[in-house]
Amino acid sequence: MQGNSVGDSCQPEAFCWASELAFALEPLLLSELPPPPALTEEDARDLDAYTLAKSYFDLKEYDRAAYFLRGCKSQKAYFLYMYSRYLSGEKKKDDETVDSLGPLEKGQVKNEALRELRVELSKKHKAQELDGFGLYLYGVVLRKLDLAKEAIDVFVEATHVLPLHWGAWLELCNLITDKEMLKFLSLPDTWMKEFFLAHIYTELQLIEEALQKYQSLIDAGFSKSTYIISQIAVAYHNIRDIDKALSIFNELRKQDPYRIENMDTFSNLLYVRSMKPELSYLAHNLCEIDKYRVETCCVIGNYYSLRSQHEKAALYFQRALKLNPRYLGAWTLMGHEYMEMKNTSAAIQAYRHAIEVNKRDYRAWYGLGQTYEILKMPFYCLYYYRRAHQLRPNDSRMLVALGECYEKLNQLVEAKKCYWRAYAVGDVEKMALVKLAKLHEQLNESEQAAQCYIKYIQDIYSCGEIVEHLEVSTAFRYLAQYYFKCKLWDEASACAQKCCSFNDTREEGKALLRQILQLRNQGETSSTEIATPFFLPASLSANSTPTRRVSPLNLSSVTP
Amino acid sequence: MAWCTPTCSASRTGSPLTRWRCWCSSASWAALARSSTSWSGGGSTGCCCHCCRLKLIAEGELKDMEQFFDDLSDSFSGTEPEVHKTSVIGLFLRHMILAYNKLSFSQVYKLYTALQQYFLNDEKKCGIDENDMELTNTEELDGKMEKEELDVPLREEEISCSGPLSQKQAEYFLSQQASLLKNDETKALSPVSLQKELNNLLKFNPDFAEAHYLSYLNSLRVHDVFSSTHSLLHYFDRLILTGAESKSNGDEGYGRSLRYAALNLAALHCRFGHYQQAELALQEAIRIAQESNDHVCLQHCLSWLHISEQKIFDSCVLLEHSVNKSLHFGLPYLASLGIQSLVQQRAFAGKAANKLMDALKDSDLLHWKHSLSELIDISIAQKTAIWRLYGRSTMALQQAQTLLSMNSLEAVNVGVQQNNTEAFAVVLCHLAELHAEQGYFAAASEILKHLKERFPPNSQHAQLWMLFDQKIQFERAMNDGRYHIADSLVAGITALNSIEGMYRKAIVLKAQNQMLEAHKLLQKLLIHCQEIKNTEIVISVLLSVAELYWRSSCHTIALPVLLQALAFSREYSLQYLASETVLNLAFSQLILGVPEQVLNILHMAIEPGLAHGAVLDKGCAMFLVAKCQVASTASYSQQKKAEALESAILNLNEAKTYLAKVDCKEQLRDVLYFQARLFHTLGKTQERNKCAMLFRQLHQELPAHGVPLINAFK
Repeated sequence: MQGNSVGDSCQPEAFCWASELAFALEPLLLSELPPPPALTEEDARDLDAYTLAKSYFDLKEYDRAAYFLRGCKSQKAYFLYMYSRYLSGEKKKDDETVDSLGPLEKGQVKNEALRELRVELSKKHKAQELDGFGLYLYGVVLRKLDLAKEAIDVFVEATHVLPLHWGAWLELCNLITDKEMLKFLSLPDTWMKEFFLAHIYTELQLIEEALQKYQSLIDAGFSKSTYIISQIAVAYHNIRDIDKALSIFNELRKQDPYRIENMDTFSNLLYVRSMKPELSYLAHNLCEIDKYRVETCCVIGNYYSLRSQHEKAALYFQRALKLNPRYLGAWTLMGHEYMEMKNTSAAIQAYRHAIEVNKRDYRAWYGLGQTYEILKMPFYCLYYYRRAHQLRPNDSRMLVALGECYEKLNQLVEAKKCYWRAYAVGDVEKMALVKLAKLHEQLNESEQAAQCYIKYIQDIYSCGEIVEHLEVSTAFRYLAQYYFKCKLWDEASACAQKCCSFNDTREEGKALLRQILQLRNQGETSSTEIATPFFLPASLSANSTPTRRVSPLNLSSVTP
Repeated sequence: MAWCTPTCSASRTGSPLTRWRCWCSSASWAALARSSTSWSGGGSTGCCCHCCRLKLIAEGELKDMEQFFDDLSDSFSGTEPEVHKTSVIGLFLRHMILAYNKLSFSQVYKLYTALQQYFLNDEKKCGIDENDMELTNTEELDGKMEKEELDVPLREEEISCSGPLSQKQAEYFLSQQASLLKNDETKALSPVSLQKELNNLLKFNPDFAEAHYLSYLNSLRVHDVFSSTHSLLHYFDRLILTGAESKSNGDEGYGRSLRYAALNLAALHCRFGHYQQAELALQEAIRIAQESNDHVCLQHCLSWLHISEQKIFDSCVLLEHSVNKSLHFGLPYLASLGIQSLVQQRAFAGKAANKLMDALKDSDLLHWKHSLSELIDISIAQKTAIWRLYGRSTMALQQAQTLLSMNSLEAVNVGVQQNNTEAFAVVLCHLAELHAEQGYFAAASEILKHLKERFPPNSQHAQLWMLFDQKIQFERAMNDGRYHIADSLVAGITALNSIEGMYRKAIVLKAQNQMLEAHKLLQKLLIHCQEIKNTEIVISVLLSVAELYWRSSCHTIALPVLLQALAFSREYSLQYLASETVLNLAFSQLILGVPEQVLNILHMAIEPGLAHGAVLDKGCAMFLVAKCQVASTASYSQQKKAEALESAILNLNEAKTYLAKVDCKEQLRDVLYFQARLFHTLGKTQERNKCAMLFRQLHQELPAHGVPLINAFK
């Protein structure tokens, strides 16, 4: 852990990460501390120049630092030399953006130093003279030049040479877009790899695997690491296990009360649960710590959004984007705000921006779909929902949305497939089954409809939490009528009685009960043998699994 | 005042693209240079001066540029100002001065370096490489240097991403490429390089929505459903933004682009043949258009609706509506397209020819009035096709030639080279086939070669000539009796047109004497074509079926089939097929032993046949006539008989020349045999021997398939 020394001190983020982890471990005794790396002859010769340059570097006078380092031979100094040149280019680029000649030049500003750096570094790379940090820098330069493939190779090399440098791993994370790519990387076998894998699994939405990795890291002794805790919380957020994520975040805030990182995710969770006071507390707290952080702005935006002050919310998201134009979440959230304000065109713009920043942002695709749905273009929005569904194949919300669109387009077969699939992948909002049942009802497939309703009721009751679910009464009413038609009096009357406990179906339930009584009296003998209360399971659920298993969702025929 | 025209500054460069580039860049960066020439006096010397001025600034120092701007503001003052403040140039100059004054310190320097670089590039370009088609190369110099310096080969993308285009440059580039895609695909950039340019464009200016649309068109070219959908939707997402700024939901606002977005999506699905999807999208477009009372959009929807429904069931009702309404709303383009489509449908449905021609004439009037040259082309191509359908090859030929020779006129007038549109492909294909029919195979292959050049294999309309090419090859192979070759062509034809392919397959089977299979296939085809109402093929199939019958000596069964075919072809006024049917009928009757009757019918069929028919058919017809003449001599006196036979021999000679033209050896052999027999009867030994010898030669060349010689008519 203490191996991270020189290079990291130039890269605050990576250094911070390593220190955090080190802090999470048990403190070492003095005797156990590894000796500081020995200085070589070259290092000693460059030491003064290096120290001078380092202080300039810390003062952000990059060109000056580079100037004093130009003749140095040692690896350390060389890295600092190149790195300051790189950063100077970046800084100039940022300054330039403000100062451009007009819209014409938009996107034209770039880091002029990159090309030169690349030439020099590639020569060194050829001659195998680069150390781990040099390789890392070379990779960064390549990535900035959009040479992703070469960059990946270089970063992999960097991790082999210097496995303890988290920066290289992190860069690698940004470059890997799918699982297949991950498979073909040959990575060094160190404990850092575990961190990397866990991180990338989270990125690629492979939450199960990520959680496993993190658990094993905790077991290995990193139980106090705030980094791991926050990552786990984010992972839970991604699979929408809100309660768990919330509790972990609360824990995290106890351990690290001045933390700003990841707090935007936390605020999202609070938002989803509509926990106004907590969100307000968080917003004020963060605002006190640092107003001008992207995360803070996001939290405040969420807070305003929850209070239905959408203009203000949009304003804060805009501020977040000013602070960091590549901060993806804010674009999407701003889109949501515009949607709330019924400003569809601005919403579309925001979502499109989000997609431009990251094509894999499923929320933006979903948001676009929603916008067009609001504009009453169900066919048009299919495309967007499909994209969202592709990115999150196991998220029921997209499937339900798709199903609704198909329903609007009168493509009932596809709609049924979507709803069934949504149910199969674990429906969050518990609406898929009702919708499916209604579809069956519409198509006069009473058997399937009844089965869906049964499943739905079982689902609701097994959850046990929701009391006032609107559709429960509908389900009972339909079931009562269905059983009535099938002349299964016991079930029918059970359902009808259930109906009576809901306001909107009370009258119907009573009427049905009377009818049943009448008919029963007429044909007393026939109906004695059945006596199962249907919605409380066993006997029925055994034979009531919907017979029409519409297995894997196949929309390929309609997907362009 | 002498205003240096854009072309002036470009006159030193060769290709149109380079010329454009020079102009556009001068429009943006070197606008100052241009304006400087405006009061430097001479018109033709302006170009030179402009260069000088630029050179002075570029090679001089920053102060030269500053001086230039200082001078510029002076030109408004004085008793007799060189430029009026309110004139176009005056406004432009004042704009420029204002913009310059606003620049911050570092921006001024940046402008100067940019100008220098621009000048340097231009000079280098003119000096080194006249034909450099590269659009942008602001940093090519560095790129090249670096390339030499670096052993690692730079990736191509990196080099091409050399710099941004200005707004004007980009717009011009897009409109140019789009019009090329429409009119002359071969001249446009290849799909790959065009996409690369577009990506580059979007990289530097992601808000440039039109580029997405072009990328959609480009993806259509390579039949990439996925990325074309993606680009289309992206374009409209962007468009909605720009529209939103003007008006919220009004006529011009983004409500409009929403409608057209849905409409375009429908068009996309139509193009890819997803008719069901298209219809859903159309419903949406129609609904939104109705809600906002956009009749123009509704008309477009209606037209597309017709196209998508046409594939499912043909109805003219929609189309008629569409034509009427379009005329009402003053959409001549749409109306004409509707009329043309209607004419086509009616032609297939066998409506009276004169009415159709009238309708086309009327719509032509409309075209000329609005100078819709594209539609004129289509109209002529359609006339060609209709004449072909009716079997009037001469008229078809004439129409085809009209279009082709009109082209030169068009190019002179408008300056738009509209010569690679679908209309031309159609006409040229017909021309090739017409020539092949007349036995001018060399000419036909020449035309096809030309087609291949004009419509390279991966372009939009290439499938047309591919089909015709294979059809012509097929016919030749059949004439030659090389059935295996014909058989191998069937697969290719089927790929392009399944019905045609099936029909050809049946013909090959028939020729190979696999009667049973052929019959089965033909029956299947017959049912299918009757369903989709493809009368032309139906009649052809009926003829083939009849032929199968008489080949198996069931002439009595063949007769009703032939009569049915005749009725059809008369009803749909397909004259070519009608005369062929009559010939078949005559043959059957001949075999059934009523030669006098046959001669009567033949007189009816022979004239149109000789006038418009293919050479092969002419030969067969003459052969048949001779046969009938001989058959009818049975009852004649000796004297008359000899005369009749003489004339039969003359007819056979004619048949021979026809058949020789198309290389139809098998029939030629039969004719020779028959002729030899006639000579023998007349006692002309020498002639007989000559014919016999020729027959012998051919017979050795072609093994007889056991088909009775006289019994076959074709």
